[in-house]
Amino acid sequence: MTDATTEAPKPKAVLARIAQPVAGKLKLAGWLGVASALIWPAQAALIGLVLGDLVAPGVSTALSPLAGAAGFVALALVRIALDWVSQKLSADAAEVVLRESRETLIRKALRQASGAAALSPAELASLSAEKLGALGPWATRYQPAFLRARIIPLAFILLAATQSWAVAGILLIAGPLIPLFMALVGMAAQEASEKQMVEIGSLNRLLIDRIAAITDLRLLGAEARSRADLETKSEDLRVRTMAVLRVAFLSSTLLELFAAIGVALVAVYVGFSLIGWMNFGTWGSKMTPAEGIFLLMIAPEFFQPLRDLAAAWHDRAAALAVASELETTETEIAKANTLMGTGGEGTAPQLGALRWHGLQIRPGEAADPIPLPDGDIAPGEAVAITGPSGAGKTTLLTALVGLIHPEAGEITLGDTALTEQNADDWRAAFGWIPQSPRFADASLRELITLNRPGDLDAALDAAQATEVVAGLPGGLDARLGDMGGGVSGGEARRLLIARAHYAGRPIVLADEPTADLDAETGAKVIAALLALRAHGTTLIVASHDPALVAAMDRQIDLEGAA
Amino acid sequence: MKTLLTLTARLIADQKWAFSRGLALSFLVLAMGAALLGLSGWFITASALAGITGLGLNFNFFTPSAGVRGLALGRAVSRYGERLLTHDATLRALAKLRIDLMDGVSRRPHEEQARLRGAQALNRITSDVDALDGVLLRLVIPFLAGGMVQIAALLMLWWLEGLPIGLAVFLIYLLGGGLGLIWVARAARHDARAAETALQNIRRRALETMRARADLAVAGQLEAATAQTLAEVEAEALARRNLEALDRRVGAVISATTALAGAAALAIAGQMALAGQITPARAAMGLFVALALAESLMLLRRGMAEIGRMQEAGARVMDLTDTPARAQPDGHAHTDTDAPLIESRNVAFTRAKSAAPLFSDLTFSLARGETVMLAGPSGAGKSTALAVLSGLLKPSGGEITVMGRALADWPEGDLRDVLTMVPQRSQLIGGTIAENLALALPPAAQLDEDAAWAALRAVALDEVIAARGGLEARLGEGGTGLSGGQTKRLALARAALRQPDILLLDEPTEGLDAPTAAATLSGLRALLPDAGFLLVSHRQPDQSAATGTIALK
Repeated sequence: MTDATTEAPKPKAVLARIAQPVAGKLKLAGWLGVASALIWPAQAALIGLVLGDLVAPGVSTALSPLAGAAGFVALALVRIALDWVSQKLSADAAEVVLRESRETLIRKALRQASGAAALSPAELASLSAEKLGALGPWATRYQPAFLRARIIPLAFILLAATQSWAVAGILLIAGPLIPLFMALVGMAAQEASEKQMVEIGSLNRLLIDRIAAITDLRLLGAEARSRADLETKSEDLRVRTMAVLRVAFLSSTLLELFAAIGVALVAVYVGFSLIGWMNFGTWGSKMTPAEGIFLLMIAPEFFQPLRDLAAAWHDRAAALAVASELETTETEIAKANTLMGTGGEGTAPQLGALRWHGLQIRPGEAADPIPLPDGDIAPGEAVAITGPSGAGKTTLLTALVGLIHPEAGEITLGDTALTEQNADDWRAAFGWIPQSPRFADASLRELITLNRPGDLDAALDAAQATEVVAGLPGGLDARLGDMGGGVSGGEARRLLIARAHYAGRPIVLADEPTADLDAETGAKVIAALLALRAHGTTLIVASHDPALVAAMDRQIDLEGAA
Repeated sequence: MKTLLTLTARLIADQKWAFSRGLALSFLVLAMGAALLGLSGWFITASALAGITGLGLNFNFFTPSAGVRGLALGRAVSRYGERLLTHDATLRALAKLRIDLMDGVSRRPHEEQARLRGAQALNRITSDVDALDGVLLRLVIPFLAGGMVQIAALLMLWWLEGLPIGLAVFLIYLLGGGLGLIWVARAARHDARAAETALQNIRRRALETMRARADLAVAGQLEAATAQTLAEVEAEALARRNLEALDRRVGAVISATTALAGAAALAIAGQMALAGQITPARAAMGLFVALALAESLMLLRRGMAEIGRMQEAGARVMDLTDTPARAQPDGHAHTDTDAPLIESRNVAFTRAKSAAPLFSDLTFSLARGETVMLAGPSGAGKSTALAVLSGLLKPSGGEITVMGRALADWPEGDLRDVLTMVPQRSQLIGGTIAENLALALPPAAQLDEDAAWAALRAVALDEVIAARGGLEARLGEGGTGLSGGQTKRLALARAALRQPDILLLDEPTEGLDAPTAAATLSGLRALLPDAGFLLVSHRQPDQSAATGTIALK
């Protein structure tokens, strides 16, 4: 029982919580849908009266065909209006749900501490874009269908019962059998699909796999072989999929079969009653033609909400899946460390020595806090942070700019201590050169200048990046894109150093700026960094490259600090 | 519209039989539905007449009531068959489309393939192909079957009720269902494009901002970047709002059409019955058929909601499948066995839209048994040089001959038989180790297990593979399940299995420790003693294995 308390909340409850702000709207949309469906019996009554009057004038209220047709259209217009409003409400509700869950997720995810993310960029991208999209159909299709399926069949049984208890009886028996049989078939289909789909991915995966490998395939002359392979596997998958569908479609066929049998039974019963061969099932009086036609017309509509629900069942399953993924993700993010402040613009505090003491940082949720040795860096100094992999070099750098909350300790710049409140101002004093640069899809000019004024040529020159820009198609207008396409690791670093030159922040932090570079390229990067220093910038680099460490004034060794 | 028509023709082309059967059953289902309601309406009204006039005893109730039950059962069964057949036809058609897509991609130039291999492009391809699964199921088949059933209903109503009813019902459905929905479809494309673009933008912005968040925070731009990402969320919501409004319009058009058709049938048939031209039972039949025909429109609703997306996706997919064939020099390779394996004279390469060449004056020759190292600082274009030498990219100047024959004169297939390159980032495919290795073999050839193990042993991977369950061990999508270094070595073993005369290697030992790196290179050399190796590497052990070095400027 102790497990139950720690378990994640049920997906259904999560979904209800997500939809809570629009619950009223969704409810209203559902009831308007119910109201619209309840107009049909009135339309059926009109038709019953018109036809009844043609068959047996005088038995029921007289209604001319033209008046009946006019009334039928008028009621249809009311129906259309109700449906319109209902759908508009549920679409609006879906929009709110979708927008808010995306917004909350994106805001939280983007504030995760550097290097300690519970959610990877790719996961965030697919969850916030396509996956959350599944909440839309759930709100617009499944929710209204669910309410209709609960109300309409019951209402129609009551309506039918006012005319004939026998028809009500037929519907009463045929109706509840449907969900029962569908559940049975649905379970069988599930089992079949699990058996069939275990090891073989979907057709898309097969294709994507081969497109991703297309260069290798070409170099191996394997395009034809791989095509034949794709053909065989696709065919195999088609056969398996059809085997699953044969079972899966049984459930909707059963639904239709029961609906059809129900309607046929009603039709035959009503027919026989009207001929006069069956004299039971009504409340004493003989069934009139108008009543008979009315009953025949509401019978199919009795089943319609159940069919709509069956069609929307997939939307529910998809929404439940994404709800539980969202819940897990948000819990994970809540547990993970966040950056300090909000990441907005700020005004740098008064400069002075950068000091830290007693720092302890937990790099990941499960990890133990790493104690870091104290440090004191004077303005204009160039210092290397050294130590083996895992000693916390990168972690220290991220802590110095407030990208992670320390477990303990204090960081000060002159007289200012870094706090949650002043973190944005604090960071305005720092420049940052990450180890593996990721370029957004913008022009190189924008990436370096961040649309702020300054001397771009001088910055490129100082960072020895002028030749890098010259080699790019379009020069400063080149878009490097996601993977930094077109520039090598060393070139990308020089571009980032150019950005630091351009920004002219008093303290620059660089994380392993010469990692994975050959000696010649590494030397260029070091020269570009030293040029920063020549301008009076305080330089702090994390590195284990001896050449770079030697070029600094001194080093702070993290090894053995614990 | 044209996009959808071309696409439909292509999807159906090889599945004519499966498609026609599905369409026929689809028509049957709709027709039986209309007949069922029509017959029921007639049966009840006629029964009422018989009851009132006291002719009950003479009334033949067996035929119509059996008809009602038969149609009800038959319809459900046909529906089952129809769903199976149409899904089968769709699965076949899409499998074919995917193969055409792969063929199209494989004919694209190298630079473009590199873009298509990116995560974003792959995502788009997946979502495009998925968007097309509704073309036959939810658009073409319902549209054709609906049209056929409308024409059949026109003829039946004309025969049983008279032309006015048939024509009125037919015209209302034609106007509402045909023109009304086409009007909506035209508006849908723009909104569908906006929604699709916005969704891709959310994905892209979220990815970029998340990756660069530390960088952005220090620059004081994280707030602004977050706001930009959220602006994409807003844009998507707006586009979706328009699509939803369009969907409501489709729903309203369908409801109004059905109501008008029913009302018209009621008014006309009622008047005719009052005038004694038809019996009330016939009048009821006309009305019920008119109402039942609504189903032919309802089936289109989902398809109409997706039509814009299908058009967009269809255009992109067909652009890929219609890639023209690569120009191929014909004839057979006349090779000179005495000539060097590769001879490169003053070869230069300039990137598209770039003024300065990336490298120029690449001059060297590679002989059998040699291991030549291509050196140069990072960014000098070493990987690009390998792509040029292996015929993936065209040089902007200079001459390359392979075994005495100009590289440009080699037909692709012949070239691949003698020259293989292992790129820096080799990509494996999901499946067994054996399947991955077999990609190196001619299409029909079987993998020789001994040869496979010999190649794996040469790259010091045999123990790893044996520990994982041998050649039948399975890799996940994209070949996941092996480490970076293991993936690299499997790609090397695969290339060695081709027994190439020339092997180009881009950073072959990246991610390997020094002893494994040395063992891998010497293993490859032992396996292919007569081949010429050209390698790019910045690692010391590899450099010492080289018999010569060329500098790239």
